[in-house]
Amino acid sequence: MTRWLLRRLVLSLITLWLLATLVFIITNILPNDVARTILGPFAPQESVDALNERLGTNDPLPVQYLRAMRSLITLDFGNSFQSGKPVMPLIIAAIGRSGLLAAFALALTIPIAIFAGLYAGRHRDQKSDRAIVLFGLTFSSIPEFVIGTFLVVVVGVQLHLLPVLATPPSNAGPLDLARFLLMPALAMAIVYFGYIARMTRAGTIDVLESDYIRTATMKGITTSQTIRRHVLRNALVPTVAVIGVQIGYLFGGIIGVEKIFNYNGMGQMMLFAAQRKDIPVLTAGVIVIGIVYMLATLTADLIIAWMNPRVRLETH
Amino acid sequence: MDYSRLDRVRRSATPMELDLVENFAQGKITRRQFINRATVIGLSLPAIGAVIAACSSTPPAASAPAGSPAAGGSIKVATQRPVSIDPVGMQDLSGYGMVSQSFEYLCTLNKEGSDIDKGLATEWTPNADGSVWTFKLREGATWMKDGSPFTADDVVATMGRLVAAGNAGLKGVIDDKSTKALDASNVEFTLLSPNGNFPYLVSVFNPQSVITPKAYETGTTLDADPNGTGAWKMDSYNPSTGAVFSRNATWWGGTTPLDSLEFLFFDAVGPQVTAYQGGQVDCIVQFDVLSGEGLLTDANTNVIATRASTHRQIWMRVDKGQFVKKEVRQAFALSLDRPKMIDQLFKGRADLGNDHVIAPIYPYFDDSVPQRTRDIEKAKSLLAAAGAPTISATLHAGQLLEIPDLAQLVQSQVAEAGFNLTLAVEALDPFYANAWCPSDPTTKKATNPPCVLAAELGIVDYGHRATPDVYLNAALKTDGDWNSSQYRSPEFDSAFGDFQKAIGVDAQKAACKTIETILNEDVAVALPYWYNYLAGSSKKFQGIYSSALGQMFLSAASQVA
Repeated sequence: MTRWLLRRLVLSLITLWLLATLVFIITNILPNDVARTILGPFAPQESVDALNERLGTNDPLPVQYLRAMRSLITLDFGNSFQSGKPVMPLIIAAIGRSGLLAAFALALTIPIAIFAGLYAGRHRDQKSDRAIVLFGLTFSSIPEFVIGTFLVVVVGVQLHLLPVLATPPSNAGPLDLARFLLMPALAMAIVYFGYIARMTRAGTIDVLESDYIRTATMKGITTSQTIRRHVLRNALVPTVAVIGVQIGYLFGGIIGVEKIFNYNGMGQMMLFAAQRKDIPVLTAGVIVIGIVYMLATLTADLIIAWMNPRVRLETH
Repeated sequence: MDYSRLDRVRRSATPMELDLVENFAQGKITRRQFINRATVIGLSLPAIGAVIAACSSTPPAASAPAGSPAAGGSIKVATQRPVSIDPVGMQDLSGYGMVSQSFEYLCTLNKEGSDIDKGLATEWTPNADGSVWTFKLREGATWMKDGSPFTADDVVATMGRLVAAGNAGLKGVIDDKSTKALDASNVEFTLLSPNGNFPYLVSVFNPQSVITPKAYETGTTLDADPNGTGAWKMDSYNPSTGAVFSRNATWWGGTTPLDSLEFLFFDAVGPQVTAYQGGQVDCIVQFDVLSGEGLLTDANTNVIATRASTHRQIWMRVDKGQFVKKEVRQAFALSLDRPKMIDQLFKGRADLGNDHVIAPIYPYFDDSVPQRTRDIEKAKSLLAAAGAPTISATLHAGQLLEIPDLAQLVQSQVAEAGFNLTLAVEALDPFYANAWCPSDPTTKKATNPPCVLAAELGIVDYGHRATPDVYLNAALKTDGDWNSSQYRSPEFDSAFGDFQKAIGVDAQKAACKTIETILNEDVAVALPYWYNYLAGSSKKFQGIYSSALGQMFLSAASQVA
């Protein structure tokens, strides 16, 4: 297990280095003048040149690349080109907000989706199974921002049931926080319900058809005991893997939901940084999201290894 | 008409003031225009009142009383995310809105939102030809950071910073030696050439001309150094989420009814409108008709609609490419269906443009230049005469408000005349950098005028200005800083010079007629419309007014009891 962990760690570091290099290449290929972007189209050229000099964007590319790699190692990405403020506190605040929303969305969807998937798997081809599959397929085909827009208009604007902006006041308590974040979390939860429920259903069907379940049934173990002791931990293996991958997406990929609800998570921050060629923020954001992805998939692998001893044995 | 009263004002008036009084007395300008212009040129309030009283026997109707104001509370304002809140370097309307809460102008906005009024200056007087302006500064104004008094030295330093930064409104008007402190309370501006509109150039309509302290460093942002003489002090600023201002207890204007302001930042207008409709914000700094159509008819919303000089210019390169010939440019302009554009994009809330930059809201606008209307047959014959029955070109535009929709309308409308346009709509940053006004950094300035690498054809946005000086100077004058069409016309340059030197409405109008005629004929830019600036606030609040440049004035705002 230790060797497996070390191998994963080394692979993760190599992946992060590749990510940082890719971001560097892309941001330097994109046509644009960083200082002109910051100062605006009407600023005198002299001011633009002076700012480019100060920011180091006129330095040779190898020098800029080494600077970027040094930032990666020390996790000190300097100051934002746009705001002049230190990058890491901005990133940490944004990742915190994204994490909060992601956690809320997952807390809403995971229990319900797993229960639905198990139920559907146990009642295969019955009406309830078809309804769950249909519901899941339908809503996982609709983008989150479409569902989000519907929720905003109906629930927020017309019915005034929930706030349309996901911007709780700084002194908001847990209940207030939940009220402000419920709609964007729901928009995401409804979409991910389909993925998770169908993975769980497939895993459940697969496990229920296996020999050891037949043996357990013939031994007289009750259905609920069978489900709890044998079906769950085996059926959920693919589900856990899917959730691990989705976590990374939830942190950086839900720009549509963030825009609709004016929620300043990592998606909005990264989009803004890319538009403004704010390279330090962009690089830091990509690295941090990469780290989140790696931690999420590593955690998922560890959970799978704990759930499934055969995985553990195979690693030895 | 009370001639004796009028004569008393006439006897003490300067030539410029006399000209204005005569124009009003003869009915050549409306009372509103008279008041606006009189304020600009420094006619005293008693004299203004005397002239109005002399020329009218009917007292003005009292405005309907507002609801009872309630003290205290806070207001939430939705605004576009600012790009910069550096008072000298800011370029976007949201930045102007932020900074103007704390910093003030020599000439501020009047409560109607249409013209200038006393701000940090309480009086301004020109010499006989408008080449020297003396401003009397407000006493009692202090800097909120340390309580030190606002003085003429602050104005001198501010103007020096603006000149050094190449401020578009003041370029060519003053230089670094123009501003002099006569004493602590009086400043004298010696202009590079006479300019009857100078007060506008140090007013709210030149957003960067906010007065900053003497020791202020260029590049300092409002959040890095919260200061100013204004009604609100910045408490916090998060570029991701918003800003909070609290009352400046030492403001010269007294105690604001509200305790605080909270600005929430958005990246698009749509979420601002839904936030407003959902009750999470109380007002919107700016919205467009297409995104906020529901607000226009909402019974619970005060819509602040200001006729403005905000417009779009469709520039065409006159020095090279397919639009060199005037006939081609005229054909392009004749292909535009302007009323349809206004109807589709603004639901009628715009004025027709006539391919020149003198907006109908200006008192010196001359309406004798025939309005260009759509004439496809004439457009086709012009193209044929130019030897180019069809033109294929790329129309560049930035993703801002209705501009992408305008580009599509233009594409479909001009196609009937023979213009086959490909659209290149992109984010604002690359558009400004690559299409609108790029210069060639490899050549010297003498052979490298600004915008020398501008695209052949494109649409650019211009915000509201109380005078057309910036449009005339920057966009159209030879070697103007924003002259994307590379227009060079000695006749136009001369007419612009005449306008700047003109004293009095009649002289300005005569100069504008020449300008309008030249530009309408040459069509360096096609200008289809001037649209209204729209802002909105809940009827739970009153006392809010706004410029057409994103500056929302909240010092008199209060909740309705």
